[in-house]
Amino acid sequence: MQSKFRIFFESLLVTVVIFVIAFLLGIFVESLRTNKIIESYKDYEIEALDLKLQNYYYQIMDSQSCSQAIKQNFIFADNLYTKGLELERYEEANQISDDLFREKKRYVLLKTELWLNSILLKKKCNNPFDTIVYIYSADPKTNIQVAQQKVISNTLKSVKEQYGNKVILLPIAGDLRIGNSQEEPFLGSIELQKEIYNISSLPSIIINEKFVLEGFHTEEEIISYLNMTKSTK
Amino acid sequence: MVNFFTLVYIILFFFGIFFILIFIFLHYRNSKQLYSNPPIKSYPTISILVPAYNEEDSIEETVKALLRLRYPTNKLDIIIINDGSTDNTLKIAKTLEKKYSHIKVINKPNSGKALSLNLAINNAKGELIAVVDADSYPNKDALKRMVGHFEDHSVAAITSRVLVKNKNNWLSRFQVLDYSIIAWTRKLLDFVDSVYVTNGPLSVYRKSVVQKVGGFDQHNLTEDIEITWHILSEGYNTRMSYSAIVYTIVPQDFKSWVKQRIRWNLGGLQTVKKYWRTMFKKGAFGYFVIPYVSASFFFAIVGFLLLIRLLWVKGSYHLVSLYYTLLGYDYWKYLEINLYITLLLILTCIFFFLAIWYYKIGFVHSETGNKNILKILAYSFFYRSLYLIPLILALYKIATKDLRWYTK
Repeated sequence: MQSKFRIFFESLLVTVVIFVIAFLLGIFVESLRTNKIIESYKDYEIEALDLKLQNYYYQIMDSQSCSQAIKQNFIFADNLYTKGLELERYEEANQISDDLFREKKRYVLLKTELWLNSILLKKKCNNPFDTIVYIYSADPKTNIQVAQQKVISNTLKSVKEQYGNKVILLPIAGDLRIGNSQEEPFLGSIELQKEIYNISSLPSIIINEKFVLEGFHTEEEIISYLNMTKSTK
Repeated sequence: MVNFFTLVYIILFFFGIFFILIFIFLHYRNSKQLYSNPPIKSYPTISILVPAYNEEDSIEETVKALLRLRYPTNKLDIIIINDGSTDNTLKIAKTLEKKYSHIKVINKPNSGKALSLNLAINNAKGELIAVVDADSYPNKDALKRMVGHFEDHSVAAITSRVLVKNKNNWLSRFQVLDYSIIAWTRKLLDFVDSVYVTNGPLSVYRKSVVQKVGGFDQHNLTEDIEITWHILSEGYNTRMSYSAIVYTIVPQDFKSWVKQRIRWNLGGLQTVKKYWRTMFKKGAFGYFVIPYVSASFFFAIVGFLLLIRLLWVKGSYHLVSLYYTLLGYDYWKYLEINLYITLLLILTCIFFFLAIWYYKIGFVHSETGNKNILKILAYSFFYRSLYLIPLILALYKIATKDLRWYTK
């Protein structure tokens, strides 16, 4: 006769099977998202190299071809910004693997490279556009900081929507380390920028490499700083 | 790597799904035996004990329901224990005593239900004792359907299916659904020798076993849970008769409902504390009942803490955003929901699908045979969430060592 207590083992077995299926499905969905980001990165890497080479060319040659360079720069910056937002959302959704976190570092470095490229382009082409660099914390310590960063991010997004092809918006995580351990050093290029612009706390906003704003500022304030940098150009 | 909170959610879902599957499997494997009871070979003598404290509104009707029971009258006596009532309960009981020869009244100063029952047990003549709350009304055939289980000498107690008598407002109508699920779940537990509550409205005990375990525990707030666990811990079995029906009066207002549930929670926690050392010993009791009830309390508390954390994490963003709105931030423009497929979303969907399936089967076997999906959803998501309130208040009372009597 079958024991009535066998039902506990059967339930346990079915629960384990359900969990294995759920985990496999979860891993599959997460890897799809990660692969999408990795694939995009490969394309952006080529685009970034292309842009860098173009910039060398523009530095050497005259400023006649500025408009073409600026256009290319904007397309790349906008794509990178959109993909960055997508990456942030994916990062929140991924619960099993931390592969995306590694990808995030590559994107941060790519954005830093784009920023430097933009600085060079602005110098060469007589400041035809504005840059807003948003240095935020990838590891906020409190919920208040998480919320504050989201508010600032949305405010900057709104400024970008208003100004379109006149502003390059670059959100860059300012506290990423080379490896995953807390003993690993921070990414050098980002640390250097923080030092140059005297950034002591995150989040901070750098407007046209002239003004550094700490914490939250309204859309109007940010726009007024943008205008101030224009008048000082 | 999976972070700490995700891991806690995964563990909760694992045990949640595991327990629901146990009940679903128990149902499908035993659905044909839900209503069956062993035949009665001989009618044992039964003393029905009716403890009463300020029950002037209901005691007469309760006793009349007992007088209507289809059971040989020479095998039945009724003992009403007036526990120091300050209303007309004693007067009504005395009138009934005069009118019916097999009714006896014991009058004592107020000292609680457990002591009232213990006193009556010493005066009871029956081989079995039935405990009936003074605001409960057993169906005519209830006793007959229960006593056949005592043919098995390992059975020391049998409980009944409690249904709601008063269905006047939203709260009592939710309790109709709740009592159906409680009774159905208890019946399913019967199939694995794990009936861990013999309810107050109507339960029958083998007197010799109750005396052997020292009677009802006067220090426990739910003496019916405690005695069941005591009986199980002694190696006896407890059963549930799904066709033995008793109607009871349930709390009509939210405050009384919370008070009643605080008592259930406190009593349950007291009982777990008393018997946890028997965990993983003594058959189904040690291997299933104690871990299952302990886990239910533990996971309910962890679930509550996770809910608080979730509200804090999500709520703090909205609060901070609202603060920045005063400074010019356009809060409404950026209200967004990112719904990506995640591991926890998959597990949540599986869990709620199973839970609703489980409730749906339970409601089919309820007195109303309710299949309305909206009612199931309202019960699952609204009413069951209210369970957290008395649980948290009970924990608060434990923390502040406030364990007063929570009946009336």
